[in-house]
Amino acid sequence: MNQLMNPVEVLGIDAGGTMTDTFFVRADGEFVVGKAQSNVNESQAVLESSTDALAHWDRKVEDVFPEMVTCVFSGTAMLNRVVGRKGLRTGLIVSKGFEDFHRMGRAIQSYLGYAFEDRIHLNTHRYDDPLVDIKDTRGVTERVDSKGNVVIAVRLHEAREAARELIEQGCQAIVISLLSSYLYEDHEKAVRDACKEVAREMGVDIPVFASVDYYPVRKESHRTNTTILEAYAAEPSRATLGTISDSMKDVGGQFDLRVMASHGGTISWKAKELARSLVSGPIGGVIGAKYLGEKLGYENIACSDIGGTSFDMALITKNNFAIHKDGDMARLVLSLPLVAMDTIGAGAGSFVRIDPHANAIKLGPDSAGYRVGTCWPEGGVDTVSVTDCHIILGYLNPDNFLGGILELDVDRARREIKRQIADPLGLSIEDAAAGVIELLDLSLRQHLRAMITGKGYSPTDFVCFSYGGGGPVHAYGYTKGLGFKETIVPAWAAGFSAFGCATADFEYRYDKSVDIGITEESSRDDICAATTTLQNAWDELRNKVLEEFRINGFKDEEVTLTPGYSMQYLGQLNDLEIDSPLGSVTGVEDWDHLVESFNETYARVYADAARSPELGYGITGAIMRGTVETKKPNIPEEAKVGPNPSAEARQGTRPFYYEKSWVEADIFKMELLQPGNEIKGPAVIESDATTYVVPPGFETFLDENRLFHLIECD
Amino acid sequence: MSNFTKKQVADLVKGSLDWDTLHMMLSMPKDKERYANYMSVLQDQVSWDDKIIMAFGPHLFLAETSADKSLVTKCSCGHDFGDYRTNWKLNALVYVRDDEEKMSQVYPTLMAPDTSWQVYREYYCPSCGVMHDIEAPTPWYPVIHDFQPDIPALFDWLDLPVPVNA
Repeated sequence: MNQLMNPVEVLGIDAGGTMTDTFFVRADGEFVVGKAQSNVNESQAVLESSTDALAHWDRKVEDVFPEMVTCVFSGTAMLNRVVGRKGLRTGLIVSKGFEDFHRMGRAIQSYLGYAFEDRIHLNTHRYDDPLVDIKDTRGVTERVDSKGNVVIAVRLHEAREAARELIEQGCQAIVISLLSSYLYEDHEKAVRDACKEVAREMGVDIPVFASVDYYPVRKESHRTNTTILEAYAAEPSRATLGTISDSMKDVGGQFDLRVMASHGGTISWKAKELARSLVSGPIGGVIGAKYLGEKLGYENIACSDIGGTSFDMALITKNNFAIHKDGDMARLVLSLPLVAMDTIGAGAGSFVRIDPHANAIKLGPDSAGYRVGTCWPEGGVDTVSVTDCHIILGYLNPDNFLGGILELDVDRARREIKRQIADPLGLSIEDAAAGVIELLDLSLRQHLRAMITGKGYSPTDFVCFSYGGGGPVHAYGYTKGLGFKETIVPAWAAGFSAFGCATADFEYRYDKSVDIGITEESSRDDICAATTTLQNAWDELRNKVLEEFRINGFKDEEVTLTPGYSMQYLGQLNDLEIDSPLGSVTGVEDWDHLVESFNETYARVYADAARSPELGYGITGAIMRGTVETKKPNIPEEAKVGPNPSAEARQGTRPFYYEKSWVEADIFKMELLQPGNEIKGPAVIESDATTYVVPPGFETFLDENRLFHLIECD
Repeated sequence: MSNFTKKQVADLVKGSLDWDTLHMMLSMPKDKERYANYMSVLQDQVSWDDKIIMAFGPHLFLAETSADKSLVTKCSCGHDFGDYRTNWKLNALVYVRDDEEKMSQVYPTLMAPDTSWQVYREYYCPSCGVMHDIEAPTPWYPVIHDFQPDIPALFDWLDLPVPVNA
């Protein structure tokens, strides 16, 4: 097809710790995936990966970048900066007497992110170094009570002294987070201005961050951590993203680089609140699944993503995913809205060991990661991994692992499985390896089922999307017997997160805590005051959202604003987040609309009978989302050819071990399969980046959108 | 099961093991070689040849003598506290802090216990003077026998031959 008729429009980038993936989409929905080793120079890795991808179309970076309209980046650099504690040296000013709360991390930070066993045992609890050292922390006398009343006026001379000391000590940024500042912001703002003044007097130019300007929400530890991240990690990342943006402009790019953010939208790299791009990788897949679902008519989707180290699950119900209001990341409690996901630390690369007490196979919690397993001697791994088991059972092709860039030693894997697993358990090598895979599948299946039934749903109402490098290998195993409507494996499973990033809206979202409680006894005046409080919060957030879009040159009228609120029955602990049925609210009638909308949502999420209107209603937070239309990738659409795969797609057969016997599996090349092709298991469908396994008792077909449908036969 | 090197076990004893390795050691079942490695690290710290079987403290060990295979409590300097079934403290030097003045040497004023309710008994090696233990009982309480290990059970778990005099 003519290149001019068919320009490349969308680029998604997933810059992981080991590989930088790029995903280019053409106007007709055709796509290519590129890979390059991640290295210190991120902009170079992006260009190398782009070159690799575009080579499939015989095109050059310089030709393609000028015609592109949108580019979304997600990466782990900021996360690594936080985990490795390599951020900007930051000073912290808090209410006097509360200097230690930051490093205490609500105690929960001593076990956040650990395996269950390590959470319940005190001796494995451990505090990471705080983001801000106690030596760089200062208290300022002031106090605001929990209702927002000033109890002690702020002593600004102390703030000035604190700022001077912190700057003299070498802090390169100052963060201010005072108690209850989300209810009364004047103290923080006064301290902020005093700090700026001191910096000016001292002739230094350092950024000053007051938590009210960024995250005016309750919970000091969360709010403080998040504001610190803006200074500590986001500012350095902004510089990196600026370099990537510049390098793209150098090759002719005329688009604005956007970054995937934890709330599921994309934001500009120039955004004020950049910390929300801290974790974005696994979210991309959920956004991509939602987008595909909307386009193709699946409204309930169970998303499952298996990488080398973890299994991430998320639910999309009625085309919506849930948002966690204060998700935790990198072992920190944060006030960042986060797409709700369940993660377990078991993946395609998990280590396999024998528990000597139970004499049973134990998976993880650690994994071989990019070192693959004992089958790759250069990786330096001595412990058997799940990948080793796949290799010896014929699931994966040892000669084409990651497109053949690694040379694998199957005999070594067999020897190690025999020594470490099979002999101690008295099993044959095949049965030991098959037992490992069965155990992993079982554990994934149980988690997937628990996530769905735990929320009161049934798998029969869901379509399961399986992606990530390891998804298609395990899809049959973890969906078997669950009764999903369908199991779908996109042909671009390995690049699905990058694809998902490219489908995300340009969206800013801001949150503010409010305290509203209305019962049957409340007067009309109380209700009017409540709506005024909510409306004021929305007005404040609207300005912040519009300001962010103005930075990127969007006019206010181009932005679609969606106000929302978090409501609960008074006395309950959890609230529900709801898009407001009204653009603005005043008075009693509007309040009734808000309540009605909440009751409906509550009945849908839980059950009619669980509604408790007699308790009264509370609003805990105001939300404002602003979006601007962006160019999204088209989904490929090809005509159906017929049920029989072409001769070129067939790559012969390979012995494959399944349910205690060896069978001959047909091998296919994924890229050469055509829509309409039907394949009966046992079969293995290979591409460079992933392998799709169809065992005996299963069959699959490829549809017009290059999605494989996996069907369990009776 | 992970295997740890003798160097890692030595770092564990010294307290200089990195957290990631330590975390793995804490979270996973013990490897088979751990006991042998641990004992050999301890053995390297002492100048005598009697075989260490267990550590009671940083400088106090249960050892099997090379002379007659008897099981004794020994200080790192080589001082012999006698058979492990009798309380080694009975053969140690003891210093009792039982008045306000002695307490004020180790605690700020008003932050020490009332010595009519609680005293500190410090136990030292008669040969090298290293402090092995402190107990904090009521003044009339007998000398505490901290614990007596069940050696046959330990060696049964370890799947090793039990010392002849256990």
